[in-house]
Amino acid sequence: MTTQKQTQGIDFATISMRDALDLAVLIEEEARDRYEELAAQLILHRTPGAAAFFTKMMRVEEVHRKQLFEQRTRNFGNQPSGVSREMIYDVEAPDYDEVRMNMTPRTALEVALRSEVKAHAFFVNALKHVASAEVKKLFEHLCEEEVEHQNLVKAELAKLEPDEPGSGDDFGDDPVAQ
Amino acid sequence: MTAPAVPLQAKDYKSDLKPIWCPGCGDFGVLQGLYRALAAIGRPPHEVAFISGIGCSSRIPGYTTAYGFNSVHGRSLPIAQGVKLANPELLVVVAGGDGDGFSIGGGHVAHAVRRNINITYIVMDNQVYGLTKGQLSPTSPKGLQTVTSPLGSLEEPVNPLLFLLAYGAGFVAQASPADMPGMSALIEEAIRYPGFSFVNIQSPCVTFGEDDQQLKVHKAKMKTLASLGHDPADQLRAMDLARAYGTELYTGVFYRNPNPPLPYEELIKLRIAEESKKARPRNRILDAYLQK
Repeated sequence: MTTQKQTQGIDFATISMRDALDLAVLIEEEARDRYEELAAQLILHRTPGAAAFFTKMMRVEEVHRKQLFEQRTRNFGNQPSGVSREMIYDVEAPDYDEVRMNMTPRTALEVALRSEVKAHAFFVNALKHVASAEVKKLFEHLCEEEVEHQNLVKAELAKLEPDEPGSGDDFGDDPVAQ
Repeated sequence: MTAPAVPLQAKDYKSDLKPIWCPGCGDFGVLQGLYRALAAIGRPPHEVAFISGIGCSSRIPGYTTAYGFNSVHGRSLPIAQGVKLANPELLVVVAGGDGDGFSIGGGHVAHAVRRNINITYIVMDNQVYGLTKGQLSPTSPKGLQTVTSPLGSLEEPVNPLLFLLAYGAGFVAQASPADMPGMSALIEEAIRYPGFSFVNIQSPCVTFGEDDQQLKVHKAKMKTLASLGHDPADQLRAMDLARAYGTELYTGVFYRNPNPPLPYEELIKLRIAEESKKARPRNRILDAYLQK
């Protein structure tokens, strides 16, 4: 999805610092909620390894959200926001079709990595349109953070043994009555 | 109809019940699209009713905070029409799968269309019976091998778009959860249409569906009707484009009646008003008896 498709009704050329911070908070919130949903799906479908990793990601996204929210509150108090959750679509949140029953922890980490890459691309594209110097600085900082997160996930991936052939999705039974 | 004091958000329509669909199912995206469309419309959950039949996608009423009825296989449309006639102020959305809608419930579609009650019918078309573990469904492609067609299906699939257009539906659209903003906007447009509206959503089954029907393939394959320069008021062109169902993946509004007729519930109100004028006042009814 392009930046334009991932957001609706947000003009990056004129976005204020307050709304840019709110947007960043909402992006983290959306990712947090999605990881929580995906973890719940995988717990229900007996895929504990990947579920545990998504639960960890949910906590990580919540920490980021909190930090950004504190910055927003410090600078703008409880001023009303010009952006809402309905304006963003899967910016950092993994797509629903990324997960599968019996997916391995390695594939779960790969999903998270793709999401971090997606979020980085979003801010890089948005930066092309941003005019405000302080919003630019914020987005550049967020870009750097996304790269940092990618490196953390890559480091975790490097620690894992490669998946054995026939593991994960290929190995699972079809679901029984729902 | 009450206007909410604060704008409603998608999360206001989400119930505490966690969906039990297979991880990766297309229906997760459809559910999100529904929440967003309802938030955009702004009717509070207690003014909305979800009616469904039986199947994976028919679980949707339970996942919303709106009124809901997970009803009988194939009978969601008659029940939804009854709900709307009983309380025309309710916003009624019917949700179900291709088997529920075009096999068991196929006979009801034509009558829902010609009756034109203001409800929205959303079919999550996955071309297979997923809940019962992967049998051939009415929209399964010819040649598909399933547990009930181990040598491949010999039947042509039903084309839901042509089916609805042929019966004269005033609003016919197709979407995919691979394009969330586009799908949410289409659902919203369908709900806002003043009459019977239909959205066929290609919602892949990750467990029993074919690899070439998954959302990753949709992303590469889908073309918006707007990009083809299609005018949604052109019914014949809509039918022509709808013939590509199963080969191309066109998304957007195929047909939108530019002059929608009054829906059935409005015609009933008019009929009642008309007949009430002709009726004798109550005291004259008594006079008529006494004169006899």
